[in-house]
Amino acid sequence: MGVQSFVVRLAGPITLTGIGLAMRFVYGFRFHDLREVRRRFKAELKVNPGPVMIAANHLTFVDSPILTWGLAPTWWYALRSAKMPWNTPERSNFAASLITRIVVYLFKCLPITRGGDRKAVTLVLDKLAHLLKRGHLVLMFPEGRRSRTTRIDRTHAAHGVGRLVKAVPGTRVLCVYLRGDHQDDFSLMPVKGETFHLATSWLEPATEKKGLRGSVDITGQILTRLEEMEAEYFNLR
Amino acid sequence: MSQQQIFEKVIAVLKRYTKNEDALTGVSASTNILEDLKVNSARLVDVILDFEDVFNIEIADEDADGVNTVGDALQLIEARIG
Repeated sequence: MGVQSFVVRLAGPITLTGIGLAMRFVYGFRFHDLREVRRRFKAELKVNPGPVMIAANHLTFVDSPILTWGLAPTWWYALRSAKMPWNTPERSNFAASLITRIVVYLFKCLPITRGGDRKAVTLVLDKLAHLLKRGHLVLMFPEGRRSRTTRIDRTHAAHGVGRLVKAVPGTRVLCVYLRGDHQDDFSLMPVKGETFHLATSWLEPATEKKGLRGSVDITGQILTRLEEMEAEYFNLR
Repeated sequence: MSQQQIFEKVIAVLKRYTKNEDALTGVSASTNILEDLKVNSARLVDVILDFEDVFNIEIADEDADGVNTVGDALQLIEARIG
């Protein structure tokens, strides 16, 4: 992990510039109110430097790079490597080729096998807890998989999200609702030229429940906030 | 509570979530909850929470990680009941 952080930092100016240029000029992605979203994100991190988990809704295969790029410009991450969030993609999605494995490595991913060996999953959660404590940002998708209905879906909720929040006291959660204007159906990728709505809301989850029930409770609070953000999105549309 | 009673209650909980009810007929301690009973991995959390309710116990995240087979569940529940 230390080695990966080092390699990511070294390669950052090239990989981040590359991904930023690809999203902007190859895919033509844009955001509504981008300047305001980025201003608020950076200001909040400066005022509250504690552990931060980003918890987002999950609609496409590339939500992670899109929302990372939406929250701050690529040059900003190149200068602050710890603020480029760590991800936990499903291993089977990226294990097919050496190239995808290298890409995943360079973009701060700790692959996880959902529903796989519990000890392996626990090891990844322990690594993420360690990173959170050291001031790194961690990005999680509490729905556990891409929503098949395009609305927040609790049926496969990833309770490791709540467990991670519990494991690192004081963790604040930046709930992110990301949705392309043309995202009407389940899809792998957003359409070319898509414009995204990206809303953020801070949450400090707390629970009096113990053990697994506490983790479930916290994950539920995060999903509830995302549902509220989703309702707000559709009310304003 | 006897081991047999615990076993029967565990099976009753698993029955709500299994996609392979036939596998419940020959269930043993070595039966894997996800692979043999085809319980969805996302539902395993609900299974454990149901164990908490049925047996009035509390299960830590770390202990829940160790539940792969029916035997693991029985062992954990027996330890919690004392």
